[in-house]
Parts: sequence; C-alpha cells; structure tokens
Amino acid sequence: MTALRAYAARVNQPTLTPDGPSGTVLAGTYDEVIAPDGTLRPGWAGIAENAVQLTDEELRRVRGDVERFLADDGVTYTPARDGSDAEPWRLDPFPLILSAEEWSPLETGLAQRVELLNALLVDLYGPQTLLSRGIVPPAVVFGHSGFLRVAARASARTDRPLLFAATDLGRNADGDWVVAADRAQAPSGVGYAMENRRVISRVLPDLYRRAGLHRMAPFFQALRSTLIEAAPEDRPNPRVVVLSPGSHSETAYDQAFVASSLGFPLVEGSDLTMRDGAVWMRVFGRLERVDVILRRVDAAWSDALELRKDSQLGVAGLSEAVRRGTVRVVNGLGAGVLENPALLPYLSQACEVLLDEPLRLPSVQTWWAGDPVGREVVLDRIDELVVRTIDGADVVSAAGEQTPGLRERVLASPHRFVAQEPLALSQAPAVGADGLAPHPVTLRAFTLRHGSGYRPMVGGLASVYADGRPAASKDVWVIKDVPDALDQGVAELLPMTHAREPEALVPRVVEDLFWFGRYSERAEDLLRLILTAHAGAQDFRSRPHSVGGAALAVLMDAIASLAGRVDSDDHDEVFRAVLLEPRRRGGVAQSLASLRRSAQSVRDQLSSDTWHALGDVDRAVGQLRAYRYSHQIAESSGRMLTGVLALQGVTANMMRDPGWHMLEAGRLVERSLQLAQLLRATAVVRRGIDVDREVHTAVLTISESVVTHRRRYRGYVRLRGVLDLLLLDPDNPRSVAFALARLGEHLAAMPGSTGSSRPERLLADLRDELAAVDVAELAVAEGERRVHLEQFLDIFVDRMSRFATAVGEVHFAAPPVPRVFGFATVQE
Amino acid sequence: MTQHYRVSHRTTYSYDDDVSDSLGIAYLVPRDLAWQKVVSQEISIDPEPGDRSSDVDYYGNTVTYFQVTEPHRVLSIHGLSEVEVFAPVYDEAALAQPWEQARPAERPDVPDAWQALDLTLPSPLVPLVPGAHEYAAASLTPGRPVGEALTDLMHRIHAEFTYDKTATTVTSTIDDVLGTRAGVCQDFAQLTLSCLRSHGLAARYVSGYLATTPPPGKERIVGADATHAWAAVWIPGESTGGGWLAIDPTNDQWANDRYVTVAWGRDYGDVPPVKGVIFTEAKKSTLRVEVDVAPV
Repeated sequence: MTALRAYAARVNQPTLTPDGPSGTVLAGTYDEVIAPDGTLRPGWAGIAENAVQLTDEELRRVRGDVERFLADDGVTYTPARDGSDAEPWRLDPFPLILSAEEWSPLETGLAQRVELLNALLVDLYGPQTLLSRGIVPPAVVFGHSGFLRVAARASARTDRPLLFAATDLGRNADGDWVVAADRAQAPSGVGYAMENRRVISRVLPDLYRRAGLHRMAPFFQALRSTLIEAAPEDRPNPRVVVLSPGSHSETAYDQAFVASSLGFPLVEGSDLTMRDGAVWMRVFGRLERVDVILRRVDAAWSDALELRKDSQLGVAGLSEAVRRGTVRVVNGLGAGVLENPALLPYLSQACEVLLDEPLRLPSVQTWWAGDPVGREVVLDRIDELVVRTIDGADVVSAAGEQTPGLRERVLASPHRFVAQEPLALSQAPAVGADGLAPHPVTLRAFTLRHGSGYRPMVGGLASVYADGRPAASKDVWVIKDVPDALDQGVAELLPMTHAREPEALVPRVVEDLFWFGRYSERAEDLLRLILTAHAGAQDFRSRPHSVGGAALAVLMDAIASLAGRVDSDDHDEVFRAVLLEPRRRGGVAQSLASLRRSAQSVRDQLSSDTWHALGDVDRAVGQLRAYRYSHQIAESSGRMLTGVLALQGVTANMMRDPGWHMLEAGRLVERSLQLAQLLRATAVVRRGIDVDREVHTAVLTISESVVTHRRRYRGYVRLRGVLDLLLLDPDNPRSVAFALARLGEHLAAMPGSTGSSRPERLLADLRDELAAVDVAELAVAEGERRVHLEQFLDIFVDRMSRFATAVGEVHFAAPPVPRVFGFATVQE
Repeated sequence: MTQHYRVSHRTTYSYDDDVSDSLGIAYLVPRDLAWQKVVSQEISIDPEPGDRSSDVDYYGNTVTYFQVTEPHRVLSIHGLSEVEVFAPVYDEAALAQPWEQARPAERPDVPDAWQALDLTLPSPLVPLVPGAHEYAAASLTPGRPVGEALTDLMHRIHAEFTYDKTATTVTSTIDDVLGTRAGVCQDFAQLTLSCLRSHGLAARYVSGYLATTPPPGKERIVGADATHAWAAVWIPGESTGGGWLAIDPTNDQWANDRYVTVAWGRDYGDVPPVKGVIFTEAKKSTLRVEVDVAPV
C-alpha cells in the first residue's frame, strides 16, 4: 500500500486505545490532506496521481535527501537555551498544501490584521486614543516591557512603523484559522521558508513542477524594495543593512540567508557607530552612512545609551538617530508592544475603531488578568487554561497542568498575566519511521508592507509537533487557481536594481575571513602530517628500531609539538585524538570547529559550496567515529583533506576584495608558520644519514614538494636541498619565500596599507631576514643539533606571529568596548 | 512668596586613558510649571560635543543628548539655570477625600485618570514588594483623607529610616532599604513610590534640587548642595483633573518654594541627571558632582 493510502486509512480509522501510537487521531481534528469522506483535500487535486504513488520507501529516501541537502547548505538552528550549539534544521519532506480558495480568505485576513497592528502602533505611540477611551486598558500597554517610552515621543512619530510582521496560526476542527500570536519585534523564519522551498523543490521535483504553486522569489524582491524605500526621503541610493545579534543567535542562519538573498550586508552592533546623529558603518578606516536597518536584535538590546545599558548587540545612540529621522529601523523600536498577548481580547474592538471594519481573523480566546472580569475567568479556570506572562515567550503553566503557587503569582501582579484556551490545531502527515503519521501543525505567515498596502507571502513556514514540541518544519504550498496567475500576486519586479553594491566589508568580517584562511590551512597541514605518519605507522609500528621506525617516532613528535602530546603508545589512538578531540589545542577537530565558526560569522560572504565542502568533512569525521579500524584513519583523513582543499576552490571564485586578500593572507601566514614548526620538530636534531633522509623525505611529502625535489635533485635527499626548496625557492608555492612575496601583494591591496604601515615594515624585515639566509650554513650541525637552523626558525616563528598580530591591529582592529558611565547617586 | 534661584550642577568624569567617543543623555533643564518658571537655562559640555540635541521626552521633560568624539580624559557637563519658584497652593477639598478615591482605577470620571494609571504600575527600579505594601497599610487606613494619609506615611519613613550615605548603593533594591531601614533621598523616594503604587495610587519620581539654609551665623558654602529626589502623588480634583501632591520623606515636608523641579518619571532610571556610554580602553573613571543652589 502506498504511503498516502496508508495514512488515509489511519486517519479515518482512529485507534481507540488512548495510548496508541503517537499518531493517534483525536476526534474532531481537521486533517490537512484527507477529507472526512476519505478523499484528498482540494489543494492536492493536481498532484493526486503522483502523490498517491509515493511509497514509504521513497519517502524515507527523500527524507535522507532532505537531510543531506540541509547539511550541504549548512542550515542550522540554535535552541535558545544557554550554551546550546547549533543543531541541524529539520524539515519534513511532505509540504503543507493549500488551495487558492482556502488561501484567499486567510490572505485577506492577514493583510487586514497587519494593517490593524500598524494602526495600533501609530496610536499607542501617538495620540493613545484607544487608551484614553478605554478600548484597550491602559495598563495592558503601560505595563508591557515592549512599550518603549524612548520611542513614544512626539519626535519619534511615523505613520508606518510596521513594515514586516509574522503571524502564528492554527486551524480548528472546522478548518478555520485562528491566530495564536503576532510577531512584530524582529520576525524570523522567512529565510528558513525560502530554504525549505529550495530543498523540497529539489527532492520532490515532479510534484513541485506539477503542483503549480506560487514561487517565493517575488516576495523577496518586494521585501527588498520595501526596505530600500523605507530610507529617509533625502537619501538617494540608500544603504540597507541587516543587524544580527551574532552567529550564536537562535536564527543566525535565517538572518544570513535573508541578508545574502537581499544583497544587504549582514552586520553586528560593533560594526556600526553613531556620528552626527546618524548611524554609520565602519568600512576600512572610513565611515559609510546607514539608511535602513533591518533589525534582528530585540529593541531592548539595540541601544546601550537609552535602553539596556549592558547590551553590546546594538548601536549606542540608535534611539536618537531614529527620532531624528536619519535612519529607519525595521520594524520600529517600539513594535515589540504588539507581541503582548493581553492585546488579543481587545483587537476586535480596536479594529472597529481604527479601521472601521470587523476583524476577520479571530485570535485564540484570551483573558487578561488585569481586568476584573478577565481575572475571574483566569482564576476559575487556571488549571485548564494556558497561563502566560504578557512579555515572556514561555508558557508559565500549560493547559491541564497544576502549577503550585500560580494563583498567588497572578494575584500579586494580575496585570502581568493572561490565560488562553489551548489552541486547536489541525494535523498533517509527517514522514516517520513507520510511514506517514499525523502530527499537529501550525503555520507562520509573513506579511509585508508593499506600496501603500500590506501583502502576505503566498506560502509560509509550517511546523509539525511531537509530544508538544516542534519536531520539524514544513514547506507551505499555495496552489494557483489558474496556472498563469502571477507568483505572489505581484508582477515581476524589475530585476533587482542594486541600491548599493553589497561590497562594503566591515573589519569584523575581514577578520573572520583571515581566520577562515588560517584555520583551513592549519587543518590541511596537520592532516597531511597525519596521513604521512599513518602510512609510516602501517609499515613500521612493530619495528621501532628500524630506520623507518625511528623516522616515525620523529613524525609523532612533530604531531605532539603541533597538537599536544597524547597519553598513549598506540599510534592510532594518537591520530584519533588529534583528529577528533574537540578541545585539543592545535588539533584537527579544533581547527575545523574554529573554521566552521569563522565561516558561520561571514556566511553571507561565502558561496553555499562552502557548506557542501564542510558537510563532506563532517561525514568523514562521522565515519571515523563509527569505525575503529586503522585504515579508517587514512580513509577519513584523506576525505577530510579533500573537503578542506575544496574550500580553496570555493574561495578561488571570490571577488578580489579586501576580504579575499585577508583570507589568502591568513592561509599564507599559517602555512609558513606550520612549515617552520614542522622543520623545527624534524630537522634541528641530527639523527644519522639514513634516518634523516627518511624524515626529510616525509617533510617533503607533507609539504607537497616531493615531486619537485625528486626532479631537481634526482632523488638525492639532503637537508640543504630540502631547505632550499622549502625556504627560499620563490616558485614553490609551499615555500616561505613564496608566502612572503604573496603576502606583500595581498597587503598592498588593502585600503589600510600605506607602503610603510607596521605590517608592511615587519614583512620587509622578514624578507630581508630570509634573503640573508645561507642554507648551507643552516644545514651545518654542531654535534647533535643544527643550531643555526634552530635559531633561524625560532626567530622566524616569533616575527611571523608578530606580523600576524600587526595585520590584525591595522586591518581589522576592533573598536574599544563601550562602557556605561553615569548613574551618579542622587543624594541630599 | 516667590523664590528666585540660580542652580549650578556640574558633573565631571575623569578617566585614566583617552576616551575616543562619548555619548550622553542629561536631564538638567528644569521644567516650566504652574509653580515654577524657568528664567534662563544653559548646558555647557567640555570638550565641546560634535553633536548635541534637545528633545521633550514621554513625560514632558527636557532631555539633552550629546556626543563628544574628540579624544578626552576629562568630561564635564555643566547645567546652569535660573528659576522662580512659587509656593504651591493645594486644593484642600481634594486632599480631604478618602485616599481610596485617589486611585486612578476607581476614577474613570477624572479625565486624566487613564494616564495616571501608568504610575500605579511597577517600574524597573520600583517593584511592588509585599513589604512596602504592608508598611504603607498602617498609614492608608480605610477612609482616611488622602492628604493626611500621605503625610503620615512621609512622617513614618522620615522617623523610622536613617539617612545614611553608606547604607545603600545605586544597585540597592526596595527590599534592601526596607531591611536596613536606611538610605538616601533616592531610596526614600522610590520606597514611597512602591508603598503607594502597591495600594493603587499613582505616584511619580521627581528629580531636582533643594535650596539649603546655612546654620545660623555660618556662610553658605558654595557647591555643598546636592541633587535631590522626592515623590509626587496623583490627587484627583473637582474640576481641574488630577493634581499632584509632592512629598519629601527625606525632609519630612511637602515640597514648597525651596524645591526646584527638574524632571519626573516612573523612577530614577527615567530621569538620571547624566548617563552615558563611552568607548575607551580606560580602566578607571572617577566622578565628581558639584551642585549649588544660590538664592538670587
């Protein structure tokens, strides 16, 4: 039986045992796919034939494809708990499908609702007629932390404070949509919605093509033009930025996706600064005016001067700039007041007053405990309702849950609490271990101010739940009523005219790219060392006193000098520790983790192939963890190396802007440092001709220079030749001389370089130093040690490290950290 | 009687390293009020800010914004103003009504009651703690005339709490003040707010100055005055809407023509004389405040 048939049978014959499988249907639940008579819902009509043919097995394969695509795109979500790491984004392959007839009233309702919210915002931050007339109880607003008095001044007024909103909905047993919550502060998810679409269209190409659904791209174009048009009027050619709380934030992927698809720079608070009452972006020693900020930082955190003084996520002075009209923040700083659930009971009347029309989309039934009548209901039904505070995202007490002390808490500050009926949800099939099972589903819709009206995205982001928790997201397909209907109902906008090239790189981004270069090189060099050592270990681990065994011991020492000593005699244990232990300084795992972090911080600068390459590395790591065979070490290290090398191909296609130059500089700095340290660990001590020859050959292999060497010296391995090739040869891309020459070129391309800046001076010293080297002298041993070589390498490492620091100071110096002063005690 | 004062309020920050960028907010311009007229006012900042502006905030206070971008180790903000203050006249009938009738939630008949509701709610520095509610209950006995009840609360705080600069810090809470029974004017003002708001009365935090009289036979010492804070309580009147009774628990008196009103808000956090953000590598900063309220 095919998957959908089995699902239909399952939902129409609900199991009677209350503790049946997790997919047990509740009587009276609306099913998104199967109508009560067992037929498919209308949205499925066009693709019924294909959809019905899908088998469980195919769906499992598709689910695997989805996971792989998401991993390749590096799509993550970071749970809001403290110290959580990014988790893979979860997407169920089965889309939520709605017909044009189903969608149309919802779309009208959404547009009306967001228009109402905008009008509400204008009133609450302006004349406050709803409060003075008692239509909304004043304490609902005055007592909510989202009501920002710094934005409630005559100077801050605007007639369109709300440009972009999200609406969370559920569907009741009658198939009617009910709003659970409004998101206006800094709505997230539109990037995830687009990514979901991208993946699903690839894994279910036939269904996607036949369905005739609204494409999403025009919505993004509309969003882009809305943001550009939001700029203050006197600003031609406006600069728009996306302000992110950083790569550790919950929805960092979403933010970066939005920034890069819209072509706006992704910035953090430290990239921006206040001057002359306006906001500016630091771009290489100069400041560029910012006209529009799409903010993903909550308002309270966005201005240390007038809002939370402990926040470094925003721009000190932002409220002032907004009041002066020099910058437009989207949404306005005061928009968080709309997220107050205590507004819900009053929205319907507010709609009559502000828009003079009835509210179309009902909200979930809500009672505010600050109102005497509401309080009575809240207290009477406290255990059966969902209790929330008015400005916390979390549920204080779930429906049917007895929370000790809750009644007292509500009574102590009633205006802080609401109680809500549990939201009735429809169900939709999600792919699980045993085929399609019904799960509760919610819809997040997005609405944009476009021109003079509000336009909902035709589509959205759905979530399915398991055990009351979000289990996966779903793509949302809205089927066109006629095949040639306009996508998103808008005429294709002009091809995205660039408001401004997104070329502007802030110093933080350049710094992350520099480290991206360094970490990728560090991982690469150590992987090569491990591969060579592992090959030696295969042959000589049981013959420690052979020449090969002695050379192996030297390589193991080199590994220890780079990545710390591992407390084991077993070579494989050492390799595994260096490859896998996340906290081992200098180890491969640590370099890769740091590489990934740097990449995440500059996600909008990098091609999506980056994630593909890193995904391959991850899979190789996974295999290494899973299989303990010795050959798996070589196998996985080799594939990790291939993945890291692929990054070079990715960055080869980058624009030759300062970011690229610093990325390459990072690689070269690290390569020469790694080489110097490798020589320091292998070549300083003299161990006899045979062992030395073996070791030098290994060093040449690790340094990718063995072929050249063989050609040039006909297989005759002597340290002099090795040093000549690795230190001085200007044509060998792995040599120090080559690195120094290229570093000079990269530095010269930087806007901060003057020809005599400190990094340039230090580099000149390094080149002088190298020019004075006589390899014959370096190769001379006094007793057991080659002291000249040792000295040279020590000095080189020291100077190169100082050079790297100087590059940082000149080309991506972080501004001083803001401190808060003031709060003088008042006393008499 | 009309009093005429020249107020000088200088705040000086010194740092042990250069500050490259300094943004500030100052509440130093006295309000124009029925009982107070601002004759002149000026704020000078040194070094000269590259940018400054003045605005009227949500509560009608004048607020000054400034940014100094030239490197500096000393920043001085000097407010200088001349004001005339008149002795307040109170509506005796309004003060005689039961205190319960002064709760904005009970007075939909009064035009500005809805606005006063703002000041019945807890605010960041004034949580409504059970201790304050209990403490106030002894003064707010059922049916007691509001003027008398407020005066009694003011007397009790003055009598039962010790003025002690070492007892509290800027981070002390209402509960700390209740526990130690000591504090400074800011603590007493905010305690009063918590007491009154927890009984549904609307009360605001007032920041300003108090002209002091030198001890008999002594010269007035210039610069020895200080900023001051007290509380004002909403009292609905017959015809005029709500009026406000300003009570000073630190000095056990209603505000009179010796009180210069600068700004008001929910608590200290809404109207600090000066606050700011600096960008610097400096580790240490020292602060000096000199206030002088001179009769003219």
